Amino acid sequence: MRFSGFCSALILVSLSAAVSAEQTAWDLFDKVQHAVKQYNFDASFVVLKGTKVDTYRWLHGKTEQHEIEHLIPLDTSGVDILRRDALVYYLLADRPPFVTRSDSIAELPAVLFEPRANIEQLYHAVAGSSSVMSGRTAQLLRLTAKDNGRYDYWLWLDDQTGFPLRIDTMSEQQNALERWLVTHMQIAPELPEGLVALLQTDLPAAPELAGATNVAGKSHQLNWLPQGYTEVSEPAALPQLDSNLLSYWLLSDGLHQVSVFVQNSQRLPTQAYRDGATTIYVQSGSQVEVTVIGPVSIDTARQLAAAVH
Amino acid sequence: MSSEHQQWLSAASDNQPLTKAQLDQLLADSELQQQLDRYQLVGAVLRREQSPLNADFATDFANLLADEPEYHLNSSRSLSQRVSQFVVQAANGSWLQPVAQGAVAAGVAVLAVIGMQQYQQPQTDVTSPLPVLHTQPIGGFYTPVSLSQTTVEDRFAEQERQAMLEQQQRLQVLLNAHRQQVRVMEQSRQASQTTERSEQQPEQ
Repeated sequence: MRFSGFCSALILVSLSAAVSAEQTAWDLFDKVQHAVKQYNFDASFVVLKGTKVDTYRWLHGKTEQHEIEHLIPLDTSGVDILRRDALVYYLLADRPPFVTRSDSIAELPAVLFEPRANIEQLYHAVAGSSSVMSGRTAQLLRLTAKDNGRYDYWLWLDDQTGFPLRIDTMSEQQNALERWLVTHMQIAPELPEGLVALLQTDLPAAPELAGATNVAGKSHQLNWLPQGYTEVSEPAALPQLDSNLLSYWLLSDGLHQVSVFVQNSQRLPTQAYRDGATTIYVQSGSQVEVTVIGPVSIDTARQLAAAVH
Repeated sequence: MSSEHQQWLSAASDNQPLTKAQLDQLLADSELQQQLDRYQLVGAVLRREQSPLNADFATDFANLLADEPEYHLNSSRSLSQRVSQFVVQAANGSWLQPVAQGAVAAGVAVLAVIGMQQYQQPQTDVTSPLPVLHTQPIGGFYTPVSLSQTTVEDRFAEQERQAMLEQQQRLQVLLNAHRQQVRVMEQSRQASQTTERSEQQPEQ
């Protein structure tokens, strides 16, 4: 009797320890989201995709009424991206800016901005050990996918401020597919200088919230969706592909997006490519060619392509 | 006479003991006896003992050599000359050139492989992964068997490269389209929500 009592106490203690461990991990997650949304900061980061390296400067400011964010690619090929509250502007050199509505810049890691409720549905959070990174103490936070085929995230946060210092996107074999790494970061009480002027600048008005036109009359069906994904009901039109696009689906699990394109067959072999964590899977048939693009494993992409009929 | 005989006979001339069988053989065979005699003579000369040879031995030997017929040893050399001449002619002819080049390439590849293996061996230990050889230069020497075939291969590779390039361009377009969708997704979602709301409102 006493022994079973001891056992149940032990189980209770370990269970509560596990729960509180998960709780601390989610607290860390709240901390990192708070840091990137509330602080005034001037940071630089690199994105490592295999041998490819992209470098950006990232400025963020928060006043009482407004939030402003500026992402500047330091490579010549990129596009300046500015967000003022819920509007995102892509400032192109030779054309008027492209404007869209969003609370975050899609080019930044979505895991930093998506609501915690969405991410809790997809991931377990585990707090890891701390280490020294760029002269700061960094706390590891691991987001482990609940389903197969979804990539894990390992985040290292600055112990003091909660600011993300590094984010690794891990494959199922625990290889880093893509590494997002902060090289410089400065948090200040005041708005970064460059943003003050941008806050006042006149920018084009927001686009009309017209009901999105349906892409193409879907001539195919998609019989299977990966765990947690749903079909986005009305994706935007793709005029640049209209001529040879037979069907198109945009799938989302709240954090990731996957595109499925169906085109006429080019009679090329079935192939898979990778751009960092983004898988590009082309399945060729005698009639049609299915291309799956998104941050999913090649297995999931293959299943998805096979589900097109 | 086999060398085995000469060996024990030579040993016997140096005062090494003989077995009973060897002794019987020696007593029975006069040729062996003469051989032993000659060995003893050679030994005596080498030891500079009082020579049993007559004084004009050297002159007799020179006369013997003079009477010897001339041997034509260069006959085999002419055969190798003929072969090499044939190879030179063939190599200058158009049909063998690719083969010769292939042979050179193969030689280099084999050298490279051997060199690499020898280089790798001292470093190999249990924990290190197996050395990966570049198979490209080795595979390369099989193809240029004839000139016409090489050009076909080249043309095919060119076409394949072209198709590959087109494929990558197409995929780049699709990747850009996907990124565009991700950018505007939030807006599309808001748009569809507003349309749903406006559709629901008249019913209320």
